Amino acid sequence: MDGNRFLPLSRRDLLRNSAAGFGMVALAAMLAENSPLHAETAENPLAPKAPHFPARAKRVIFLFMHGGPSHIDTFDPKPRLVRDNGKPLPFKRPLTFAEGQTGGLMKSPWEFKPYGESGTPVSELLPHMAACVDDICVVRSMVGDSVAHGGALLQLHTGSNTFTRPSMGSWVVYGLGTENRNLPGFITIKPSLSHGGAKNWSSSFLPAAYQGTPIGHGGMKPEDLPEPIEYLKNKGLTPEQQRYELDMLQKMNRRSARRWQYDPELEGRIQAFELAFRMQTEAPEAFEIEKESEATRKLYGLDRPECRDFAWQCLLARRLIERGVRFVQCSHTYGPGNEVGWDAHNELVRLHSRTSRQVDQPVAGLLRDLKARGLLQDTLVIWGGEFGRTPISQGGDGRDHNPYGYTMWMAGGGVKGGITYGATDEFGYYAVEDRMHIHDMHATMLYLLGLDHTRLTYFYGGRNFRLTDVAGNVAHKIVA
Amino acid sequence: MRLARYFLLLLWAGSAVAQSADEGSALFESRIRPLFAAHCYACHGSAMQMAGLNLSTAAGFFRGRDTGPIVVKGDPEHSALIRAVSYTGTIKMPPGGKLSPQQIADLTAWVKMGAPWPQAETAPAQAPRPQFWSFQPVKDYPPPQVRDRTWVQSPIDAFILAKLEEKGIRPSPRADKLTLLRRATFDLTGLPPTQREIADFLADDSPQAFARVVDRLLASPRYGERWGRHWLDVARYADSTGADEDHRYPYAWRYRDYVIDAFNRDLPYDQFIQEQIAGDLLPARADEVNVEGITATGFLALGPKLIAEQDKVKMLYDIVDEQIDVVGRGLMGLTLACARCHDHKFDPITTKDYYSLASIFASTKQLAKVEGVVSELYFVPLVPKDEAARYQAHLDRINAKKEAIEEIVEQEGRRNADRLRPHLAEYMTAARKIYAGGAKTEEMARAQGLDERVLGKWVEYLKPNMEVRPHLANWYKATPATLAQVAQQYQADFDARIRDWEGRMDKWRREAAEARASGKKAPEKPKFVAGDDRFFAEVRFGKGPFAPPEKDEERQKVFPAEANARIAVLQQEMDALKKSGPPEPPMACAVTEGEPVEQHVFVRGNWAVKGDAVPKRFPVVLTGAGQPPITHGSGRLELARWLASPEHPLTARVMVNRIWQWHFGEGLVRTPSNFGRLGEAPTHPELLDFLAKRFIESGWSIKAMHRLLMLSSAYQMSPEISAEQVKADAANLLLSHFNRRRLDIEEIRDTLLALDGSLDLTMHGSLQEGKGTDVEFSEARMSFNPDKSRRRTVYLPLRRSNLPSVLNLFDFGDATTTSEGRSRTNIAPQALFMMNSGFVTERTRGLAKMLLVEGGDDAARIRRAYLITLGRKPLAEGSDDEVREALEYIRGFEKKRPGPEARLDAWESFCRVLTASNDFVYVN
Repeated sequence: MDGNRFLPLSRRDLLRNSAAGFGMVALAAMLAENSPLHAETAENPLAPKAPHFPARAKRVIFLFMHGGPSHIDTFDPKPRLVRDNGKPLPFKRPLTFAEGQTGGLMKSPWEFKPYGESGTPVSELLPHMAACVDDICVVRSMVGDSVAHGGALLQLHTGSNTFTRPSMGSWVVYGLGTENRNLPGFITIKPSLSHGGAKNWSSSFLPAAYQGTPIGHGGMKPEDLPEPIEYLKNKGLTPEQQRYELDMLQKMNRRSARRWQYDPELEGRIQAFELAFRMQTEAPEAFEIEKESEATRKLYGLDRPECRDFAWQCLLARRLIERGVRFVQCSHTYGPGNEVGWDAHNELVRLHSRTSRQVDQPVAGLLRDLKARGLLQDTLVIWGGEFGRTPISQGGDGRDHNPYGYTMWMAGGGVKGGITYGATDEFGYYAVEDRMHIHDMHATMLYLLGLDHTRLTYFYGGRNFRLTDVAGNVAHKIVA
Repeated sequence: MRLARYFLLLLWAGSAVAQSADEGSALFESRIRPLFAAHCYACHGSAMQMAGLNLSTAAGFFRGRDTGPIVVKGDPEHSALIRAVSYTGTIKMPPGGKLSPQQIADLTAWVKMGAPWPQAETAPAQAPRPQFWSFQPVKDYPPPQVRDRTWVQSPIDAFILAKLEEKGIRPSPRADKLTLLRRATFDLTGLPPTQREIADFLADDSPQAFARVVDRLLASPRYGERWGRHWLDVARYADSTGADEDHRYPYAWRYRDYVIDAFNRDLPYDQFIQEQIAGDLLPARADEVNVEGITATGFLALGPKLIAEQDKVKMLYDIVDEQIDVVGRGLMGLTLACARCHDHKFDPITTKDYYSLASIFASTKQLAKVEGVVSELYFVPLVPKDEAARYQAHLDRINAKKEAIEEIVEQEGRRNADRLRPHLAEYMTAARKIYAGGAKTEEMARAQGLDERVLGKWVEYLKPNMEVRPHLANWYKATPATLAQVAQQYQADFDARIRDWEGRMDKWRREAAEARASGKKAPEKPKFVAGDDRFFAEVRFGKGPFAPPEKDEERQKVFPAEANARIAVLQQEMDALKKSGPPEPPMACAVTEGEPVEQHVFVRGNWAVKGDAVPKRFPVVLTGAGQPPITHGSGRLELARWLASPEHPLTARVMVNRIWQWHFGEGLVRTPSNFGRLGEAPTHPELLDFLAKRFIESGWSIKAMHRLLMLSSAYQMSPEISAEQVKADAANLLLSHFNRRRLDIEEIRDTLLALDGSLDLTMHGSLQEGKGTDVEFSEARMSFNPDKSRRRTVYLPLRRSNLPSVLNLFDFGDATTTSEGRSRTNIAPQALFMMNSGFVTERTRGLAKMLLVEGGDDAARIRRAYLITLGRKPLAEGSDDEVREALEYIRGFEKKRPGPEARLDAWESFCRVLTASNDFVYVN
């Protein structure tokens, strides 16, 4: 159970050394060759690693819909609500967020129609996504454990709704490494600072090399980003001057490494500076959206003011995964001119209409673009929020939080397109068929990436931890 | 007959066994017991009985779990065991994955047969568990004999050297004076030695020179800022709740300041931890109010909290759990919180032990108000009760004025709406002519006899935009032919709604007046639910065209002079009250005694499933089953005294181990917050006990412990490593050399600030403003920007959900759980910070300027720069001539970057090289 304990180094030594880009192997090699300067071959914590079994997906794009989109107004039509509109809920209402302001059943104000060859029904809110349904697996039976945003976001991102745990992106990079050393392995674009903030992309007890790198935050507009990655740009020196400076630094560092033999950490820091130098010359190119063709920009809706922000995020996500970033998250969140995101406690019609306009074309654009470039087959795209919304009204014309049964969808990356999986009851309140708990979603995601969620573990604080805690079942039915 | 039925069942189950009692036993032995052993014993066997269930004996099996038996003999359908393995109920076993259909069928058949279990078997006698090392009393060990007595400066050296000699490893030589000074100064104060301190130490040749340095450093206020920060890591200190709403703890800083001061004045550790747990219950020293004691309970109060959790019982017990964890791991090195859902899997801590402790914290007041969507944080005034009451009364008076103003605005707003209401259709029609027909507002208002200001608002409101507004759909659909009729419909609906609303308000006013007259509590003021009539709500309230004006200048135009005069008077009175009143009394984020609860075990951690009642008491393994339960109060005071007792086997050991770790980089127990079975065993158990004994004997003095450790050969070794040492002990478990350590982020930032003289050494107080989230937008809940202050890093407020990115970058940790030490990563973004950040550029440019204005030649400047940044002289041996190298570098840089500031730029670059170098970032 705790194999590390029998090694001569303590776990913390190991962790530190491996985070520094070194492991036992490196140390042993150095001792054997009696030279402290054999670092280039050493193990990098972000180096690509083989999965447990052949992977269907190589990378993930998670399109996070903060606030909780209403499943019964988007992908999960409920004729019974039309029939019983206004009537009281015929069973005991479970815990909601805004206890006491809830009303009777409320039908969807939007019409549903079948789309594509599969005939998957989608509401008129999302016409662009609707046109892509043949590539999408709509999971109608999601279940979470938290009725409030804070716990629900944490659980969606980390598996735990109470404690700080590594984010799913961190687990994925821990399991698979990354394919571009000049970019972080896990990038989260404009993440929300609320409802847990950085806890949702932290590596927690995993080494810091696996933490998510945020690009701006939800309160910013893309054009206000000073630099995509903090400290990436030197504002005073030319590259040549900086190289001169770095050479001097490395000379000093190599001298001290020579003097203090057998310390892989010192050598690791020399490598870190070289990597940083490469990053700052090569990473900015990934963020140059303006290099994309007019047609591509239009495909995402970058030319439409109302969806420009999310179009920018989706297009950037594609550029990043194309360059080998393992896990990219885009967030539609509470931001300027968009106070509550999907969180329509009232004014469902106005708020969901607006939010749908902001994400619909960019998301569809991303799917089409990935497909056209042959990337969709091994890129897993996941769309959804921290919960769905209630079939009963709240505050007269809104809907409350519903973690008991809601919709997310997946596309590409080895998932069957054009299907729906699972079902909620006839009101859309509880998931009743093929329930997919958040733990199950995580297990399935890891499975598609070639990782067994019960084997992707990390020893910390006296026990082995995993993304799925002690739960999680792979939904094999959706695997192509 | 019965047999035949079994037979059929077994055939159906595909199993070819058992048609008699004997064969039942055979089925048991061949299939059931192996199944239990393979899939269940790990949690429900002789070593561990989760939920009280032991499947390894007949007695255990038939007794069942805490909540009752798991089988009804002969009736699989009503047997919890079968439901659990079939995954049909809430409990699904085994949790790692469902058994095969064959296995489930076997179990079902066996239960149906009456669950035959071979008779002879009895439970094997339980061998008494040997006591685990950390639960045994601290013993007094004399320092062992060693061969090389000259190496032994301090008793601890004997313990270290004995082990090294045993393995034939030679300790590294003593570090040189400058290395030692830099090490000790960073170690005790988190800052580098000044040039003056370096000169003094080099000049002092006496044998007491280093002891004098240690005394000087321990007397510096900078000491508490460094060592207080170590404690704040254990206490998972931050200035907000984190988790969901991330409300600020407005008075958290008082706890931080208390900790810094406690270290500076060497508050005995036993007193210190009693105050952490129950300071509010300890007798006050001088004043009537125990300010320090109350503040100290911030240790319990300042944890992360999910205050918007809607399951309020779960929320409270999550807070309790978090406190058990920080007390368990932080003070005792025990992972007590593991026993929330099941008995601890590795340590002898039961769920009963857990809930006994939970009872203590659940009987403690944690929040001001639990009910409501977002629960309210609890603040304790640090002044006598009557003073706090006077302040509250003053706030009430201010609030009364505010309410009186609101009432006038509401009354006048209603008159205003009543006056405008009959013209609603006219306003809408006129507005349409303006936004759709291009008419001018001013002219339209004059022509129609409408209020221009109000009409302007209607235009803004009705003008179509991107938003979908269903309540205006009919309006936009109206054609010129139907417009009048549609307008009339809006008018009629509005009239009906406003009558209804005003009727409700009148009724409430009457009832409120009656209630007040008879001294009862007034009913709650009605609130209009906007979703019931969006159009009415948007027009009549907020910024709507018929809403009462919000701004004073508008009120002047709309309200009668008499009403405006009354508002002005009230406003003046309110302002005067605000000025005249007493200032807010000092407050603390603290806990106090709450209602004692009758605590039960929560089965599998679920509060809705209650198990046995438990008394308030401490873990049985540490105190024995005979301890009397605590029967009054929360039990915090008793817990505090028990933890601080010299007999407690863990408290002193855990703390001396932490002190050791913070000096040597690794603890004697390398899992400093886990002294349980899954923790590491001590590398030097006798030394650990020796230190714990000395710690207690010294009156729990932390400063005495620093002297004991630092005035040893072990502390004063060089980090040089020999090949022999690496081969024999690569992990340096036996401490043959000093562990080099990277500076913490606080040391990096503070030192960079100190370099160019911009470090602000002001102590205490808060850089954070505001309470809760105020009305702050959810995406603006940022931590204080470190670049906005020159204060030491320990004083930067920490917004738990969004710690300053530079802290995250350099392994600060997440401040959500007690920390057992900073991890140390080495990643490219850290290098980017050293190369490119504006902060480093500013500091190194400042340092360059300082160097350039001072006298002497460039070689002297370079030597000074080395001393300031690296605490050493440049090398000048053979090919390593660092002064020459630096001179060449600076000249070369000037050539590469000519211009009026070439010299300054070059020196800045050279300083940046020094601060980015390993010799700066590491302490040898």
